[in-house]
Formats: sequence, C-alpha cells, structure tokens
Amino acid sequence: MAATHAQRSTREIFTTLEYGPVPESHACALAWLDTQDRHLGHYVNGKWLKPEHRNSVPCRDPITGENLASCPQAQAEDVAAAVEAARTAWENWSGLPGASRAQYLTRLAKMIQKHQRLLWTLESLVTGRAVREVRDRDIPLAQQLLQWHAVQAYTQEETLAGWEPMGVIGLILSPTFSFLEMMWRICPALAVGCTVVVLVPPGSPTPLLLAQLAGELGSFPGILNVINGPASLGPILASQPGVQKVTFCGAVEGGLRLLIQESVWDETMRRLQERMARLRGGRGLDGAVDMGARGAAAHDLAQRYVREAQSQGAQVFQAGDVPSVSPFFPPTLVSDLPPASPCTQAEVPWPVVVASPFRTAKEALAVANGTPRGGSASVWSERLGQALELGYGLRVGTVWINAHGLRHPEVPTGGCKESGSSWHGGPDGLYEYLRPSGTPARLPSLSENLNYDTFGLAVPLTLPSGPEIGPSPAAPYGLFIGGRFQAPGARSSRCIQDSKGNLQAYVAEGGAKDIRGAVEAAHQAAPGWVSQPPGARASLLWALASALERRESAFTSALERHGVELKTAKVEVELSARRLRAWGARAQAQGHLLQVAELRGPVLRLREPLGVLAIVCPDEWPLLAFASLLAAALAHGNAVVLVPSGVCPIPALEVCQDMATLLPAGLVNVVTGDRDHLTRCLALHQDVQALWYFGSAQGSQFVEWASAGNLKPVWVNRGRPRAWDQEAQGAGPELGLRAARTKALWLPMGD
Amino acid sequence: MLLLPSQPPRSAPPRECIQLDELTLTFPSSELDLLPSHCDLSWISKIQVNQPAVLRRAEQIQARRMVKKEWQAAWLLKAVTFIDLTTLSGDDTSSNVQRLCYKAKYPIREDLLKALNVHDKGLTTAAVCVYPARVCDAVKALKAAGSTIPVASVATGFPAGQTHLKTRLEEIRLAVEDGATEIDVVINRTLVLTGQWEALYDEIRQFRKACGEAHLKTILATGELGSLTNVYKASMIAMMAGSDFIKTSTGKETVNATFPVAIVMLRAIRDFFWKTGNKIGFKPAGGIRSAKDSLAWLSLIKEELGDEWLTPELFRIGASTLLSDIERQIYHHVTGRYAAYHDLPMS
Repeated sequence: MAATHAQRSTREIFTTLEYGPVPESHACALAWLDTQDRHLGHYVNGKWLKPEHRNSVPCRDPITGENLASCPQAQAEDVAAAVEAARTAWENWSGLPGASRAQYLTRLAKMIQKHQRLLWTLESLVTGRAVREVRDRDIPLAQQLLQWHAVQAYTQEETLAGWEPMGVIGLILSPTFSFLEMMWRICPALAVGCTVVVLVPPGSPTPLLLAQLAGELGSFPGILNVINGPASLGPILASQPGVQKVTFCGAVEGGLRLLIQESVWDETMRRLQERMARLRGGRGLDGAVDMGARGAAAHDLAQRYVREAQSQGAQVFQAGDVPSVSPFFPPTLVSDLPPASPCTQAEVPWPVVVASPFRTAKEALAVANGTPRGGSASVWSERLGQALELGYGLRVGTVWINAHGLRHPEVPTGGCKESGSSWHGGPDGLYEYLRPSGTPARLPSLSENLNYDTFGLAVPLTLPSGPEIGPSPAAPYGLFIGGRFQAPGARSSRCIQDSKGNLQAYVAEGGAKDIRGAVEAAHQAAPGWVSQPPGARASLLWALASALERRESAFTSALERHGVELKTAKVEVELSARRLRAWGARAQAQGHLLQVAELRGPVLRLREPLGVLAIVCPDEWPLLAFASLLAAALAHGNAVVLVPSGVCPIPALEVCQDMATLLPAGLVNVVTGDRDHLTRCLALHQDVQALWYFGSAQGSQFVEWASAGNLKPVWVNRGRPRAWDQEAQGAGPELGLRAARTKALWLPMGD
Repeated sequence: MLLLPSQPPRSAPPRECIQLDELTLTFPSSELDLLPSHCDLSWISKIQVNQPAVLRRAEQIQARRMVKKEWQAAWLLKAVTFIDLTTLSGDDTSSNVQRLCYKAKYPIREDLLKALNVHDKGLTTAAVCVYPARVCDAVKALKAAGSTIPVASVATGFPAGQTHLKTRLEEIRLAVEDGATEIDVVINRTLVLTGQWEALYDEIRQFRKACGEAHLKTILATGELGSLTNVYKASMIAMMAGSDFIKTSTGKETVNATFPVAIVMLRAIRDFFWKTGNKIGFKPAGGIRSAKDSLAWLSLIKEELGDEWLTPELFRIGASTLLSDIERQIYHHVTGRYAAYHDLPMS
C-alpha cells in the first residue's frame, strides 16, 4: 500500500512541484543521550559528575515537547568542585608552552570535525534551530575558531610578551544561546592559558558534549568544565576563590530594525515582502527549511509584540511557508509604527523586522545611534562614500557594508552601550583573558559591609581647620570646567595640608551639579576632538609637555611641600612630560590595523574613542599618575573629566592653568572634592561612557556594582597601588587598550 | 540595517538622469514600430550589482533547498520537460541528430514511467537544439517520429558572434526557413564591453525581426561580459529588444551557467516583469550535467521567480548529457539499484 501511495504522490508532485520533507536523522543524537541513560550531569575534570539528590529539569524537544533527558541542577558544592578542578588544571595548563596548547586546540578542532553530525543534530534537536544553520555555519566556524586560536597560542610567547593568563574564567550562558557563542569565549581563554567553568542553563546538552569531546582528548582534564544550573548560581561562581573573571554570553540574534530611505521605501518593501514570502519554516531538523523555531516562549514573545504593534497602529505583513501552530512563528515585517509608540522603543523579538523610513543619512544615523543597544549594524548603499561615513558614525561594535552577519575568528566582535563592552575573536578577544605580567590576582573578597545606597552619598562638611599661618595663601582653586576655573556649586572649599600638617591651599568642594556641568562641557568638546587628526592631538600633547617642563620648578616645589624628596619630585615632573609626549607619538603611530579575512575584501579594525571618559586619579604620584592617565585618554580621542589626587590636588590644578590656554575648552575638566562623593556621581551618570577608578577597595567595589546597572566599561585598581613610574604599569599597552574601543568595519568587495 | 538608494531623492534629480531620458530611443522605421517595445536606458543606468551579496545568496540557495524520495523523482521528471536536448559538435551528422530526436521524444524508459504512473503525461524534452546546417535533419527526424517537439537552432555566428551583421541575420532567416521555430542567437560582446547599449539593442531588434514567428533566445555569453553589472544590463537590453528567453552561455566559453550569474539574470527578469507585465523565459546552458545540478536549478527558479516560471514556455535547460544522468537516477529510484551502462538507451 505504501508503494502505491508513493507512486500516486510522484504523479501529484509532478504537477504541483512542491517541496517535500527532508528529515535529518537525529538517531545519533538520541544514541548519545542514551549513553548517558538520558540523565545528563555535569562534566567536570574530564569526567561526568552526577551527584545524587539534585532537582532535575527536563531537556525537551522545543517543537514536539518530547522529554529527551533530565538534567540535575547544580548546587553550590558542584560549582565549587568545578572551580577547584579548573584551578588545579590551570596550574599545569598555564605553564605549558604555547605550542602545546596550540596542539591541543588543533586536536579539539579535529575531534569536532569527526563528530560534527552528532553536534549539529543534537544542537538542532534541542534548540529547534534550522539544521543547515548549525551545520553550514556554526560547526565550520567552531573549527575555524579553534584553529585560529591555536595559531595565537603558538605565537603567544612572542606576540603577547608582557601578558599572562588571568586564571580560572567563569562563563555564564543565557537561556537562549547558541553553542557557538560559547566557543567565541572559551577558545581565546583556553588559548592564552586560562581554564574555564561554564554555567549553562539546564536543558542545554551541547556544551556538555563539547566538554566531553575536549575531556576525551585525555591530556588535560579540567581545563573545560561544564555545569548545569540556574543563573542564580552566577554570584556563587563569581565568589569562588580562584575565579578571576566572569563573563556573560547573551542570546542568539533577535529581531531587526530596518531603516529605509523614503525614496526607495516602496521598492525595498516590495522586494522584502517578495523574498519573505519564499521563506520556509518548520522543524529545525528538516534540511530544507530556512528557519526553525525557538520554543514556545519565543513564539509568545513575538506574538505579543506583533499584537501590541498592531494595536498601536502598525501595519503587519506576514508570509512564508511556515506551520501555523506554536512554536512556529512566521517571518513578520512591521511598518508604519508611530515613532513614539512603546513598540518602537522596545527590543524587537525574533523573527520580527521593524521597518521605518528616514529622509537623510544624517537622520538615519541619529535614529540608529539613539538606541541603548550597540551590537552590530549593516549599511546597504551603492555609494561607498556614504556607506563608509555611516559605518564610521554608527556607535556599534560591528558594521557590515552591503552584507550582514559575517563573522570570522580573526575579526573582533563586541559591542558598546548596553550590548556589552567585552570582545571575542581577534586580538581584542585574547586580551579579555590576559593581564599585564606582575599584576596581582583578583581576590574574591567582596566586602559585605559596603552599603551601595549610601556610599559617597553625603558630602562631609568643610569647617575652618585652624589658624592660617605664614604668608596668606592664594585665592582658593576653582573647578576647571569648560576651559576655565569656576566656583563650585556648593560655594565651599576644602583645605589641603602639606606634609607638615600646615594649610597649603584651598580647593573647591565639587558636587553632583559640578559633575553634571563637567560632563556636559566634555560632551560639547568631544566631537571637535574626535575629528582632529592624530597628528594634531599629538602636537597639543607635546605642547602641554613643554609647558610642564617650563614650569618644572613650580611643580617640583609643589610636590616637595607634600614631602616628596627633591630628586624624586624632579623625576616625577620629567616623567610626566615624557608620558604626554609618548602618548602623543603613539596616537600618531596608532593608525588603523587592516585585516583581510577569508572573505573577498578587507575588514578595518578601527580604534574609536570611548566618548566622555571619567578618571578618578590615585592619591599617590599626584602629578605623574594624573599626566599618564590624561595623556592616554586624550591621545585616543576622548574628552575627560578627572578627579585628581585627594591629598595632593595642587599639581593637577596647576596643569589646568596650562591646559586653559593650550587645549580646546571643555576637553579636560578637573573636579576636586570628596572623592567618594564624586566617584558616586560619575559612576551613576548615565552619559559618562567609561570610568577609571584608582582609589580604595570599597570605591572599586562600588564602581563595579554601579557599572552592572548601566553597563559602563570600568577599570578599577581594587585599592592596590600601581607603580606609575614603571613603564609597564604607568604607560603600558593596558592603558591604550582601555582608552579606546574597537569597531570592525567589513568591506566586502567585488563587481 | 540601513537601506539607501543608489540615487539621491527625487527632489534633486542628478544630471545623469536627465541626460539618459534624452537618450531614450525611438525607431522611425515602420517595421520596428510594429513591435511593442522600446529601449529605456534609465532602467539600466542606476543598476549596481552587489557581487558579494549575490555570491552569498548563490551559496545558500544550493544548500537550503533539497528534495528527496518521491519529490526528487517528480522534480527530475519535470526537469526532463525543460531540457533543450542539444548537440553542437563539428562531427554532427544526420544519424546522430536522428538518434537525438528519438531520445527527445522518448527521454525516459517507458517501464520506468509506468512504474511512477506518469506514462500518460506525454513526457518529452522541451526542444532539440542543433547547428543551422542540421535543422533540416532534425525537423525530418521529428516528423518521422510523429512529434511536435520544436527544433531550436543556434545562429548569428555561434559561438563567438564575430561575423558580419549581414551574415548573422541571414543565418537566422535560413534556419527559420529550414523549419527551426526557436533561434538561439549570441550577442555581440564587443558592444557590451564598450558600453554601446543602444547599438546592442538595435542589433537584437534586428535579430528579432529576422526571426519572424520563431522564438528568440538571446545568449548573453556571461562568462565574457566582465562583471555582474554588465550581465544585468545586457539582460535588460535583450528583454527590451524583444527576446523571448535570455540564456546564460553558449557552452563554449570557459565559464558557463553559474548560480551567481543566474541570480542576476533572474532578478533582471523579475524587474522587467514588474515594469512591463511581460514574462520572459530563462535558459541556463553549459556545464549542467548531473541530476543533482538540475534540481538546484529548479529550486533556484522556484525561489527567485516562483512556480509560474516552472514551465517549458519560460524555463529551459540547455544540456546534452544531463538527460542520461536523470534517467539513471529515475532508474535507481524505481528499482533501488544503480543502472549499468547498457540498461539505458543512448541519446
């Protein structure tokens, strides 16, 4: 009977010429699950760890709802065991020559190649993603990632001299992630000598399979450990002794926002709809579908969004050959959404595209930059000049010109604003897991006593502090804002004592309003400074260095009054001038690194300014630290708000005298006052793009806590002094890395 | 994602645009006025093909659409109906042309068709395609076999096109006189490479006229056009000049029918349809040898133009050895075994 049916259908299909199912067998994925008795534990130290008495969460096929396996959730002791394994493994792994690590990564790449069918069927089965996406893109890219990072490990001693691996890295994956996102993070970490503990949401077996493949290579158990558990285990992972860094890994690509110039609106919409109508959706394990499904939650999210948009007056176009039952959702094009409606502000869910028109390229740039997200964007234009201008202007981590979604291990991928400030791939990805040699390891000792709500909230009152002896001191120093000295909003001053306890001077007591003014002034000056060519920035820094040298004796005596020996004071002034010159020269030499990946055409790795950078200078080395930090920040095109040394702010304020005449107004702003209070104001200011903090351990902890709220890139010293007079710590490449962010600009070519 | 037009908004038309409007050609000749088409160079002046994107699409489309089992068999049988069964060799004689014509009439073994229950569908190839000197042989052979399969002839100095216009036109007329109802002409690549679009239009118009009632299939020889942008422009000119089909290549160039080129031509066909409402056919030729290739071509047409183009009136595959591979696959589908050389009749 079956045969007759087949014959009849051939005849039918001959007329209709429709597509049929192309089921991809997932027998091997099920067989692998069977080897674990459908009970997935954790993979720790090269072995399966299946502790008793844990709550289990089922791993389901998102399309059929079939229960594929049960996943016991980790508890704190399992996390501790994994970190311990990683720590033990690290002692051996980090000490290996790069060539040995390279060999291991290459073997892992081969292992993936051997078991690729198992990997892609398993990933497609449990995530519902289209199998061709996993098979044709993710698996080859995972191998490329391993191979590229193997090469980096091989040349590590040479190219990354002066850096050492951080230690154990904690990686927390979000509930909707692709295993490839995990590869982007573990490859550089393993390559440079770190070991990894991955916390995966329960019900995601692919990372476990990868850990097993890595573990079965035998030689280094414990370098990659994977545990199942809820995100609430994150803080426990972060607080384990030995964990040096915790990184998060977000969701797979969501919906898209499409901006179309009015003059091509009709044409573009027509073509878009035509193309969407030909998309096929269905079970991910079908070899002929374009899109799979991402589970019922994603379906409901998309449906809610579309209904909401419709109620707000939007036009909705849905097409494509997609099953009309949950969890399948058709590709959806939303247009005519009123600009002020809530849906315009909300994040667009997959698989929805929101199209809106614009009039000029300038307007498009303003709209595109006016969102809190800054991951990636693509520009489509036949005029390369215009496309490039937009590419440079977009505040995102990756820009593709006339292409979309390309990725390569050699090209750093990251983001700015809420899309995070960490990098994967390329040289930038390696530095994420390195620290300058000699920097002490991070201790997980977070102070429980720090009250985030009150830290630096109150400004200590300044009262007269004893008789003014000696020659009457000069008028109090003002705040250096917008290119001139201003009286502080609070209209009060604090006294600065010299090393003998005598009154040296009065400086302004800055507060929240002054910080606001300083940040505003910096924002006004920033665009002008960014557009200056590096050569012009360099010559201004050199001029400032000369000004410093001319007034060497004034600076020396100011330092001497603070108990610095004459000889050391002279060195400090001399070094400060040298730092300004050195960064000026580096700004000139920095240029843009040109990389050619496997695509036809170059990828530009641009180093762009962060914007307005706030720097809380250390108490020690009051002039040198100030100059070193300032020079690095300015050379990379940032506008700056600085809080100088608390005990000795006078040298910094003296430099302001010179900056007032040399630098554009507002480019550098110096605010004195209570350091904790000013730090609080800066950390919580949403429009300060980055914050460097050199002060107390408590202050550092506060700054890191605050940055979790607004995702501001921060750099803190955790209360440890830095050897500012040493080249490595005072002017090393770390400062340069921190002072700018990377953008990858893809330029595919061909006619 | 930002989408920008290739030209500034309408309010400020660039000078270029105005000039091109003046270049719109009109033909005072009374004969040409009878044919309802015109040459509008503004349709091609704005075009800039995004080659990297085309390459990516070409890569994807081959991996994304597969058909298996009954679907594969049905699609392969359908592919047979699109084939212009071709022989274009120096040693063609009436005997092998006769054999070819017989194969065109009976492309798949009858018992295999019966097994698939499509024996009553009158399955034949779309046409046979020969050199002008063999048209008589083909017409005669097909008549003897009682078939109405059209005979297509290549013409106009095939494959290089480097002969005088007068002889090229004469070649068309003679082939039509001999009974060819479809003429595959090659364009003058020199005109494309030097950007003489009006002259190209003019030449193809004359081909069109020489064809009379016969269908005109214009071979663009895309392997020799230099860029995808030129492929688009040449496609558009050929369609404006009245071609019934546009065809990728002669099969004699070093680069033949490739997916990227096909995508550009198909997009041109779609644009032409959107602008005029006329459906123009597409014929890839050269290098399509395996059954698997033919399936990819069918899905390409389905994806880019839709099911309405999947008919012999609008889609042909120029091939000589493809048919035997398809028959081989059908044999395997029906019997579950791979065929020996002697199991299937030769063409």
